[in-house]
Amino acid sequence: MIGWLLDALPLSYPDAVVVVGTAVVGFVAGALGPLAVLRQRSMFGDAMSHGTLAGVAVAFLVTGAKVPEVLLLGATISAALAAFAMIALERTGRLRPDAAIGVVLSVSLTLGIVLLTHIAGSGNSEQAGLNSYLLGQAAGLTERDIVLALALGAAALAVLLVGFRLVRSATFDPGFTSVAGVPTWAVDAASTGLLALAVVLGVRTVGAILMVALLVAPVVTARQLTKRLSTLVPLSGAVGAACGAVGGVLSGRAELPAGPVIVLLATAVAVLSVTFAPRRGIVARMRRRRTRVAR
Amino acid sequence: MSPDDVMIVVITGLLSTACALLGSFLVLRRQALLPDAVSHAVLPGIVLIFLLTGERASLATVLGATAFGVACVAGFDWLRRTGIVGSDAALALVFPALFSMGILLISRFASGAHIDLDSAIFGDVTFAPLRTIEIAGADVPRSLVITGGATLATVLLVTLLWRPLQASTFDPDFAELGGLRGRLVNQVLLVAVAGLAVVAFDSVGAILVITFFVMPASTARLLVRRVGTMLVVAVAVGWLSAFGGQRAAVTFDTSIPGTIGLTAGALFLLALLFAPRKGLLTRRLTRLRQPQ
Repeated sequence: MIGWLLDALPLSYPDAVVVVGTAVVGFVAGALGPLAVLRQRSMFGDAMSHGTLAGVAVAFLVTGAKVPEVLLLGATISAALAAFAMIALERTGRLRPDAAIGVVLSVSLTLGIVLLTHIAGSGNSEQAGLNSYLLGQAAGLTERDIVLALALGAAALAVLLVGFRLVRSATFDPGFTSVAGVPTWAVDAASTGLLALAVVLGVRTVGAILMVALLVAPVVTARQLTKRLSTLVPLSGAVGAACGAVGGVLSGRAELPAGPVIVLLATAVAVLSVTFAPRRGIVARMRRRRTRVAR
Repeated sequence: MSPDDVMIVVITGLLSTACALLGSFLVLRRQALLPDAVSHAVLPGIVLIFLLTGERASLATVLGATAFGVACVAGFDWLRRTGIVGSDAALALVFPALFSMGILLISRFASGAHIDLDSAIFGDVTFAPLRTIEIAGADVPRSLVITGGATLATVLLVTLLWRPLQASTFDPDFAELGGLRGRLVNQVLLVAVAGLAVVAFDSVGAILVITFFVMPASTARLLVRRVGTMLVVAVAVGWLSAFGGQRAAVTFDTSIPGTIGLTAGALFLLALLFAPRKGLLTRRLTRLRQPQ
């Protein structure tokens, strides 16, 4: 299906699969990242990624085998449940986002541990390596993984595109949006559902724990360069895709795991952007302050 | 309860005391996720020390881990104070980068050696009573000495810095202008959190770090309104989770950190639903009882 794209790249077939896969994940994560970062929920991905452990364990308990699609489905469901729990806690008005995230993270992680302990004691020999499932391995990607990632990513971006105006007003002025008659909880639920999807997409390539960085770093980079949400989303997606592709190639050449290389690359780009961006960068601000003093 | 059971409850209880004290201030300062970030960020420190000395559980390991924990909070604090990125985004930028470095170091130089990511992430309190050191002729569990010391140091720190800590938590500007050294207190708190997280990491595993820092403090926040009472309630919740979790783990024959976390979760849920006046169910019940 995407064979022509893989052939067109000047890379060997396995390298091309990795690069296209990481670029797709990078783009989707970068484009969806603003949903988290602009609402002070950058660490959402952290709790969701820890939450996937319980879902993987339950999926394994139900089926008794390590079928990748089933485990991923379990991971998606539990990541989404964790996300909804966080929103629900926040909406009670009794906890701030960071504490809500921490509570959900702690409970879902310990639940995962208890389930895994139970599985380890059950004597099923297939269970080995379940917990390393969350660390990700881009080298193990197949063409089928990429097609799946492309399909899910395209669906997520389509939802974002259709609901863009709603998302924009709910992000910047939740009060007005709810007064205007929009059920903000529905927007909240939809946008966290998309984030859960992005986290799960990343599980296979960069690993669940490192997905936090891929959701946040491109957004921070792009935010330094633009003020408009309609530019921020594609720009941050492009930054994510570029980091994913370059990181994928570099890690293949150096025989290193792709996830950490991509994350370090994305973080470096974000720090450069924070420091040197025109207007909003640290250097630009210092220079402005100096000229003001000089006058 | 066997002596080992009592020892586990005491070790986790002591640790939860220290974590609940610092965690309460973190929750009030909206930095509740800092310990979780630190527990990931220490990985390169552990690996580097292993590569240099070949040891996995020595004093050097704790020092190396602490160095990277402090690097994590320092990077977070710097990014946050630039005012360019939010405090949540700053944290989400710093710790995955450090964690990545750790994984790269492992896969590059130590893939043959058994630095299990598992044992880094799933470190367990279960065997804590068995690892003993000799003090004055008696065998004492190493974890008991370390957590006891850490708890004592934390209580001392919070008592000494009580006024500045409170002031800088609720009104940073006042703390700075009023001569209470808000910035300095902030940095001391961050370094103390990093150090305590590493100690907890070393003796009971990373899972309980985030649980003990966040859960008791959040539960207490739901129940009371004053900082002093909040600290007391948080410590009580910590001990209750430690005791209940250990008992449940023995009854159901499962992971101790897991059940302690779930017990803390259950206590949190109870507080959320039934807290006096503000609980979700309490509010509904009062409304039912007094029809308008």
